[in-house]
Amino acid sequence: MWWPEWSLRRQDAPPDRPCFVVQSETGGFRVVTANAPARSAGVASGMPRREAEGLCPGAVVLERDLGAETNDFEPALVAIEDLVPKAEVVEPGLVFVPIQGALRYYGGEIPLLERMVDRLSAWPGGRLGVARGPFAARRAAVLAVEAPLRVDDDAAFLSNLAVDALPHEDLVATFRWLGIGTLGELSRLPRGAMASRFGEPGLAAHRLASGEDRMVAPREIPEDISVEQRYEEPLRSLDQIGFAARALAGRLITALGERGVAPHRVEVSVMAADRTERIRVWRSANPFTEHALTERVWWQLRAWIETAGVPGGIVRLCLQPADLSDAGRQLSLEDDTVSQLEAARALNRAQALVGPDAVLQAKVQGGRRFSEQVSWFRWGEEPAVPQRSLDAPWPGRVPSPSPALVPPEAQPIEVEWDGGMPVRVRLRNRWEMVTAWAGPWRLAGRWWEGEESVERYQVVTAVSALLCEVRDGSAFVVGLYD
Amino acid sequence: MEKTATARREAQPGETRWDLRAEPGRIISLLGTAGSGLTRLGLSMLAEASQRNLVAVVDVRGWLSPIAAFEVGIDPEHLVVVRSKDRQQWSQVVAALIEGLHVVYAEVPIGISDTHLRRLAALTRSRRGALVLRPLDGRLPSGVSHLTLQSEEVVWKGAGAGHGHLRGRHLQMRAWGKGVGGAERLFEVEDDGENALRVVAGMVTPSAGRAAG
Repeated sequence: MWWPEWSLRRQDAPPDRPCFVVQSETGGFRVVTANAPARSAGVASGMPRREAEGLCPGAVVLERDLGAETNDFEPALVAIEDLVPKAEVVEPGLVFVPIQGALRYYGGEIPLLERMVDRLSAWPGGRLGVARGPFAARRAAVLAVEAPLRVDDDAAFLSNLAVDALPHEDLVATFRWLGIGTLGELSRLPRGAMASRFGEPGLAAHRLASGEDRMVAPREIPEDISVEQRYEEPLRSLDQIGFAARALAGRLITALGERGVAPHRVEVSVMAADRTERIRVWRSANPFTEHALTERVWWQLRAWIETAGVPGGIVRLCLQPADLSDAGRQLSLEDDTVSQLEAARALNRAQALVGPDAVLQAKVQGGRRFSEQVSWFRWGEEPAVPQRSLDAPWPGRVPSPSPALVPPEAQPIEVEWDGGMPVRVRLRNRWEMVTAWAGPWRLAGRWWEGEESVERYQVVTAVSALLCEVRDGSAFVVGLYD
Repeated sequence: MEKTATARREAQPGETRWDLRAEPGRIISLLGTAGSGLTRLGLSMLAEASQRNLVAVVDVRGWLSPIAAFEVGIDPEHLVVVRSKDRQQWSQVVAALIEGLHVVYAEVPIGISDTHLRRLAALTRSRRGALVLRPLDGRLPSGVSHLTLQSEEVVWKGAGAGHGHLRGRHLQMRAWGKGVGGAERLFEVEDDGENALRVVAGMVTPSAGRAAG
């Protein structure tokens, strides 16, 4: 849900005169939103304040007050959460609602959207976009002027949009200069070339353009990473909650920083003196810094206090991170930033040479065969969720140490047997005597998938040790203990 | 060995104990047949560097199992495997990696020219990188490696005549080059399968005499 003019919902914003709201950013004030009379004079979001004032000299200029806006936004959020829990706030006026779990309850997307539109009619001007990923949903909301816009295929929907939709202003200018006008044109470029030429931001832009938004909770969240503080005297004053927000946000970011991660989402939960609990999730496209997180926690607590959402004051405050990323973490003094940048550049160059599918990282997962125990993912991308649990027993698994070399396809090998015992193996052109062997470990095949059962042996010769599979009387090398 | 190995604990009587590791500006080459334990030995040289920075393995055959790399102590988050089957591209890929990474382990495909290998050696020295080269066949041209380690014998532990399972191995290696002060050395490496490899005994062998007259 996106209310483009949420910042203009304030008492001092005149509805009939040109008016726009500005926000302080690096490099000065910029326009956040403008009302219709100001827009007709040429004022647009993102424009520097001076330029906007030049275009519309008589306009009322207001400075954005995010704390007050959060207060005003709170009732709308409560209304949304009455329908679907765990809405994720990005800023006042922009909220992502994960509807996957609620679809069955409401009988599909359309009944849910109808209810949501009906419930939010008290806050007119909202736009509703539905898509698989947050980036596509946000772009759909921009276009949903008259009615909610539902996107079935994120990549197809994004392909027709202009590159200006991307969050990287500098990159957009470069893409335009290179003649790349739409996200579709961008997504058709080789990813390796993008990584090589534009580095991490280029890779991120390519992913967004291809409809591959951030996965939810792509990294493992360390246990007990949430931070919590209990207060004997309930916090009631804004000063008190300001200090509490800063202290707890600092603790969380420091604890995560020690693990080399930073959060994209944080769940803020409080318990009131009357044991009422309130929870709100805040989301950011870039990982939260300590300052950014402090601000959001402060806005949220202030909104709850001022809207009487925590009767009697706050007795417990808890911050729980989610959707962790190491991409934008704050580097500590010991981190060698130059080394990291050089390493990233070198790997980008390697990706450009051999292709993104040949520069890989790996994660261990469960499996009976060594080849199944590795989950590969491209360097620079989030690891895939392991398909097989490490904790499962995996009967037939050969004990460690693992072979250092595991061919992708089993390699045929000649083995001479005597009474069921391997006696000689043929390595290249020479027969080598077997000096020791272990096994067999029987691997029962999944007969329902047409897979045969095999027996596996560790075979040792004077020059090497092999892991062999025997099926239908033929032997194959499936690992080399090199 | 002194320049490429660092003592970690007090040596026991009659025993010299080192950890093998790659050092800045040095090239180590590993010679021996497949199955003689050199891949694990090479990977173990990346373990210490991987605790702080990204390390890369250039996998020519696409056979490398990262599980073995993790077993010898490489940090899973810091290991990047680059598959480069194209012989023409191999030296460019290794050069690109040496430009930005502290430590690279690379299998050397058959047929790489001496010129390319010498250029890589020069680049490694100038960038203060560490390169571990594992030729799939033959040797490297002279002057490229700071230290050459050749597998002489491997003795496996744990497997019998159909019982037990492989648990570890003893490697007997021969070392030569500037890294061992010009003298040729024989030493043994112990690999218990779970931890980093260790050099457990070393002895100097007399270098070959030069005929005169």
